[in-house]
Amino acid sequence: MTDASSPLRRPSLPRETALRVRMRRSGELAVKILSNPTTIFGFVIILLMLSMALFAPWLTTPNAPDPYQMPRDWGALRMPPGTPNHPLGTTNTGGDVLYGIIWGSRTSLQLSIIVVSVTVVIGTAIGSIAGMVGGKIDEILMRIVDVFLSIPELIFALAIAAILGPSFTNIILSLCLVFWVKYARIMRAQIILVKQNDYVDAARIMGDSRLNIYFRDILPNAATPVIVQATLDMGAIVLIGATLSFIGLAESGIAEWGVLVSEGQAGIASGRWWASTFPGLMIFLWALAFNLVGDGLRDALDPRTEGR
Amino acid sequence: MNFERRLELRPLVVTTAIGLLFATGAFAQDMRDTIVHGADEEPATLDPSQVEPGAGGEAVIFHVYDRLLTVGADSADLLPSLATEVPTRDNGLISEDGLTYTFPLREGVVFHDGTPFTADDVMYSWDRVIEMAMPEGASDILSDKIAEMRVVDDFTFEVTLNQIDASFLYSSVLPMTASIVSQDAVEANGGVAEGEPNEFLSGNPVGTGPYQLAGWNRTENLTIEVNDGYWGTPAFDNVRWEFGLDPDVRVLGLRAGEFDTVETDPSYIADLEGVEGVIVYGEGLLLEPLHIGFNLNIPEGVLPSGDTIPLDFFHDVRIRKAFNYAFDYNAFVNGALAGFGQVNPHYVPIGVFGYDPEAPIYDTQDLAEAERLFREAGVWDEGFTVSVVVESGSLFEIQCLILKDSIERLNPNFRINVAGVAEAVFDEALAQSPVEYAMWAKNGDPAADPSAYLETYAHPDGEWGEVHGFANGYADPEAVGALIDAIAQELDPATRADLIGEAQRVLYDDPMWLIGAQEGAVTAYRDTIKGMVIQPLWPRPSMNFALYDKQN
Amino acid sequence: MQLRDYIIRRLIVLPILLLGVSIIVFSLTRIAGSPVGVYLSHEMSAAEVLQIEQRFNLDKPLPVQYFYWLKGVFQGDFGWSGVASAPVADVFPAKFAATMELSITSAIVAVALGLWLGTYAGVRRNKMPDHITRIVAVSAASLPLFWFGILLLIVFWANLGWFPVGRSTNDIWESIAHPTGFYIIDSILAGSLTALLDALWHLVLPSITLGFGGVAIIARMMRSSLIEELQQDYVDAARAKGLPERLVLKRHAKRNALVPTVTVIGLTIAFLMQGAIAAEIIFRWPGLGRWMADAVVRGDQATIMTYVLFTSVLFLLANLVVDIIYAKLDPRVRLGD
Repeated sequence: MTDASSPLRRPSLPRETALRVRMRRSGELAVKILSNPTTIFGFVIILLMLSMALFAPWLTTPNAPDPYQMPRDWGALRMPPGTPNHPLGTTNTGGDVLYGIIWGSRTSLQLSIIVVSVTVVIGTAIGSIAGMVGGKIDEILMRIVDVFLSIPELIFALAIAAILGPSFTNIILSLCLVFWVKYARIMRAQIILVKQNDYVDAARIMGDSRLNIYFRDILPNAATPVIVQATLDMGAIVLIGATLSFIGLAESGIAEWGVLVSEGQAGIASGRWWASTFPGLMIFLWALAFNLVGDGLRDALDPRTEGR
Repeated sequence: MNFERRLELRPLVVTTAIGLLFATGAFAQDMRDTIVHGADEEPATLDPSQVEPGAGGEAVIFHVYDRLLTVGADSADLLPSLATEVPTRDNGLISEDGLTYTFPLREGVVFHDGTPFTADDVMYSWDRVIEMAMPEGASDILSDKIAEMRVVDDFTFEVTLNQIDASFLYSSVLPMTASIVSQDAVEANGGVAEGEPNEFLSGNPVGTGPYQLAGWNRTENLTIEVNDGYWGTPAFDNVRWEFGLDPDVRVLGLRAGEFDTVETDPSYIADLEGVEGVIVYGEGLLLEPLHIGFNLNIPEGVLPSGDTIPLDFFHDVRIRKAFNYAFDYNAFVNGALAGFGQVNPHYVPIGVFGYDPEAPIYDTQDLAEAERLFREAGVWDEGFTVSVVVESGSLFEIQCLILKDSIERLNPNFRINVAGVAEAVFDEALAQSPVEYAMWAKNGDPAADPSAYLETYAHPDGEWGEVHGFANGYADPEAVGALIDAIAQELDPATRADLIGEAQRVLYDDPMWLIGAQEGAVTAYRDTIKGMVIQPLWPRPSMNFALYDKQN
Repeated sequence: MQLRDYIIRRLIVLPILLLGVSIIVFSLTRIAGSPVGVYLSHEMSAAEVLQIEQRFNLDKPLPVQYFYWLKGVFQGDFGWSGVASAPVADVFPAKFAATMELSITSAIVAVALGLWLGTYAGVRRNKMPDHITRIVAVSAASLPLFWFGILLLIVFWANLGWFPVGRSTNDIWESIAHPTGFYIIDSILAGSLTALLDALWHLVLPSITLGFGGVAIIARMMRSSLIEELQQDYVDAARAKGLPERLVLKRHAKRNALVPTVTVIGLTIAFLMQGAIAAEIIFRWPGLGRWMADAVVRGDQATIMTYVLFTSVLFLLANLVVDIIYAKLDPRVRLGD
């Protein structure tokens, strides 16, 4: 189950202590998260990937003028790993596989950060409006959400990206259009739950403004499942993005892992295994790392699921 | 031949129980094998009037219908088919004024439905194509040239042209449009209506060809059977087209022996060479130069937002030439085309009449010359960004990537955006007049005569030239136009060849396209197939199944 | 709310949702451009393009086009597939059968393996097998399906040559009739063991590839709900009565643990539909997913529309069925939230 909403599990505390408890808990939380070896493993992979993305220009000579394009060596097509200058071999169009892996980490990082931040913001906003305002607006927003949820994510994103035309920007756009719905629903459910707590009533009686209550009392207490889901999605989005480029929706010649796996599949009958194997491994490690960290986060934030 | 093979010949019979099937198979025994072909595209229609040039249906039509003349395997010369002689001036079948062609027709030929073939059928077939004028088809190839048609007697047919046209025999007799259909069959099934597809003929061809249609399971396969009553040399084996297969699946099927022949292209050769039982055979060049077009008539405000070029960018011959010098021909021919290809001149493909090998061509990358020309044109320091639209995932896209690499490595201020789009989107973009991009990449349409190319791709008033403003670019557009007109009307071969050589030189100095290469005609097939030949003038160069004998 | 009323209400909402889906997808496709491209070839003139647009009503305003499209759908006309060079409705049944055959075998792999793995791990909580299972499950969820399939191909097809790609051996496929389009059923109807073995042989690798991702979802859910059940009082009571652990597990805990697991089978179906696209590309499976992938790459709007609509129908129905089963199995469930 990737859906992290666990509405019944939020303890209801008086408002004054809620803040203090949260402060104290964040320290405990860090300890708890880091006590899980698989979570640490995930963190390490993420750090390695991030540094690879960060130091890409120093690890390889950037292709000029556009470093996100594969450098194509038309004199060295389909070279096996171990070839001088091409330690992991080359693709059917002479692209250096190692280069694709290193710059592909930047592409993936961009993809996941942009999509997750955009969808979390939009989803949270729409979910909050629906949850806070309620009534007709809630009804309308949720019916729209229902329609969006009627189409499996990948297929919806695929259709949109296909319509927009093959380019990496369009993959990002299509994923943004699809993924916000999930957050909107989680957020709305959370807000409706948190709203019923005593400390919210207390704040209301004390005459706090609605916006104040929302930002100080409701949002922080409702955010946890969204944070967990966002962490898991950092991995899931790279998986789906890579699938879209694998199917052929990224632009020509871009250094992207899914594109490389796709290009490589034509050669496996003739024994050219390298062009798809290495980049695919990177997608796997990326998704694995965020899944491990996401799981660790969920366990730590939600004591009842501990050890599951 | 074993029993299982025979079963496979009769897929339609095999619907009942095994026992019954056994009996049927045993009685229906004959010595024919079935050549299984992994096709690239299923026909949308088998109606000669509606088939798109280059579409999957063309190859089937080629086998089930005959034309008046044909092209053999060994040379580009025209040979008799339903006409018993090729009209020339010498044999008197082309009139003195060069306008009237007389075709003596073959007697005793019958259509697949048993009706006899006469001059009326020829007249009817051509009239039908012209009258229907289907947008998908190529009726204008006939209607643009023919002034009048006459049935002289049952076995003599006469055509009078609008003007002298040296390419008439090639450009109007060979294309699928000119296939001869049975008048009786069409009249009995819907007749002729302008702009309306004929449902019957699109699925039920009635011709005189060496094969007749035996079955068509939409989306799966299409089978043609040897026509036992064929007037000419009979075919050896039946043929089944298998559809819905991607290029790599076809390649795999050929490796595994599931297919005897497949549609393939040079990029798959690396996966087939050295495989046991598979023969890779390349011979000659396809007559479809791979080109990148320059738009000299860009409308205001249509270019993609990133493009920085002025609208008259390609009016400057120095820029067009600089692009031609900058392109890495070696990478394209020896890398992308795996050596199956050759750089060719502007716009007279190697292998058509009159091609002059002495004329200069752009065949090597010359970055110094490109830089000099870009500097002279005044764009070197400022740089430019220009998009080229192309069908994504195609060979043309690779051509664009090579152009991108070539130009961008020349100067970091130069940017080429390769706008890869889906096939349907690309077809729509190219159907705009003019195209709403500054550049596009595609291949030329094959023709048998140089005039067809020159008029379509080089003439300032031609199909591309008029819409895309070639007159804005040529140093002397009228002279270019006059030269191409003269080539079209010159009936003396030697003089015509000289003129074509001259055109090659003019177009070298004043190029309107960037021509990457002419792709090699290459095919891969199982070694059980004997008699494989390649003729670029056929709809699919390696597909004339009547000539192939499958031996197990 | 009564179960029957609930089902009726959901069935009424279903077409409304589908209408919403079709409007969204239709407007999105038409915003990007007219679908006229699939009918065109690049040498057509402007007049010829217009002629074709008129033939298919593509020169009309957008809402009118939508009306024509919807009218077509009700008459069983889903448009022309440029990819297949044939009407969508003609191509659909065969591709549908191919995809369903693959999905069903994959679902069997996923459910069988997932339940077994989940039970195995749940009973041995926090022991070594549990940790390994957990890692396998997380890995499976992180594995790019298309890459996993390619790895299997590299090992078992390209190097060992044990398994084929594609759906069938061409000669064997041609030797039997295909009344249903399901290769397994057709081969049984034809009484051909060769064909049946051929069908199964071709199904092995794609089913494992596609099923493996589903394993992760099911195993995780099974494990956690089993752990929860094993902590319940009734389990202790059963143990106290002296019931052997094996029977406690089988009769009580496992059965109850299945209830929440059923809910994720709905998720699994969505997963299978999505995964089928990549699996069909890799294994050259001639199904809907591969068709969709081709349509996407070549801009075949009619096929894209049909496919999206079809998956939505399937997805919504699957969710409805799951809800009903869930309600039947667990009376505590409140419907209509």
